[in-house]
Amino acid sequence: MLDVHLDSWLREFGPRSHEKIAADSVDQLLDALESRYPRLRFKLRDETGQLRRYVRVFVDGEDVSATTGVATPLTQAESIDILHSIAGG
Amino acid sequence: MKRDNKVRILVGTRKGTYVVEGDPSRRHWKVGPAAHVGSEVYHVVADPRHPGDIYAAVNSGFWGPTVQRSRNWGKTWKEIATPLSPMQKDRKPLFDDSGNQNEVERPIANLWHIEPGRPSEPDVLYLGADPHLLFRSSDLGASWAPNRAMNEHPKRKDWSPGAGGACLHTILLDPRSPDRMYVGLSAVGTFRSDDNGESWTPTNRGVEAPFLPDKHPETGQCVHDVAMDAADPDTFYRQDHGGMYVSHDRMGRWTRIGKPLGDDFGFTVASPSTAPGRAYFVRLDGMARVTGEGHFQVHEWNDRTRRWRKLLSPAAFPGHFGVHREGIATDTLDPPGIYVGTTTGHLFVSPDAGRSWQLVRYSFPGIHSVSVASPGAR
Repeated sequence: MLDVHLDSWLREFGPRSHEKIAADSVDQLLDALESRYPRLRFKLRDETGQLRRYVRVFVDGEDVSATTGVATPLTQAESIDILHSIAGG
Repeated sequence: MKRDNKVRILVGTRKGTYVVEGDPSRRHWKVGPAAHVGSEVYHVVADPRHPGDIYAAVNSGFWGPTVQRSRNWGKTWKEIATPLSPMQKDRKPLFDDSGNQNEVERPIANLWHIEPGRPSEPDVLYLGADPHLLFRSSDLGASWAPNRAMNEHPKRKDWSPGAGGACLHTILLDPRSPDRMYVGLSAVGTFRSDDNGESWTPTNRGVEAPFLPDKHPETGQCVHDVAMDAADPDTFYRQDHGGMYVSHDRMGRWTRIGKPLGDDFGFTVASPSTAPGRAYFVRLDGMARVTGEGHFQVHEWNDRTRRWRKLLSPAAFPGHFGVHREGIATDTLDPPGIYVGTTTGHLFVSPDAGRSWQLVRYSFPGIHSVSVASPGAR
């Protein structure tokens, strides 16, 4: 079971700041989150299935957003952070 | 909600939505609290068929575009269905096996314009989006259907975005005919449909494309905004990248009218229902994209006399103001009110067809969109 920490800005769409979710990939994790909180749909990923430009996913502290992205395997992972990136400054 | 006697200016800004309330004198205004704080709001519009209903095209830099609706004149808002790019189910890879980019693999970038349907179709909405997409809802935004003739147009691969994106920003409905409508697409031009959106005919004859090798192509003109004359729905006023134009034959041919103004660049035009044959343009410096000569100015085109009138003296509001394509609106009162929002966050109001002007006493974020809900609007 993954420890998933979510950006506080996402609360308006339903999730708490900390969720426990089982998933084998980032894609599966986001599917599970959207299933629990339908208003999250298309907020983190666009309709092509890719992460939105300013969404950052960290797997055990490593930012995978611009590398393996939604295809990142999570079979060995323990902790996920889903944050918005800085935009400005 | 019941109709009331208030005039409401609906303002979409770089950082949220505002509803500004006044009375029919249009001289006293109260700015309500911001909604959608932090998001780019490209268009806010009231639905005159359902008093109290307002729709907003909200484009969050973080979480993407959403359609939002208020049913109480902006006091509370709720996200409703947002249309999706037609390739959503395909999830094709960005490149095919040969290394060529899949041109269809592109999500909706921004929502640009929401147009309530005709009074005879009270549950219909239209929506224009980037990249050059048109949608229709027959259930007040609970779901959206793509307009396939536009969204799968065979020439799409030749269409390019303008500086503001590949926006479908203008949707005009002929009030006399349920089958006739018009759209405007940045860097593509205008189209007319005579069969309720089943097919589209380019309507850019006479409009120059000074930025292309072929100055008079069938499409490729960069239309910025178009207004329909309320008294004569065959007449249209057009602010194009290449100047100001009028058409009297359902966009069959356009005639440039802006040359007497010198630089007739701009982004926006409006034509009030209570002043047939009048159109209001905000002329900008074509290079700087702000009002020229160092002051705020609006020009009135009288289509009967074919003459221009400059509405403001240089001393009235000095400064350089940018105005975006949804930045001007008129109301349904007599004399008509004219409302202009600027990229500097100023909101100008004339309650008397341009004879006098005031500034709403509030500094907004940069304004993208102004529209008006006024008593008597249907």
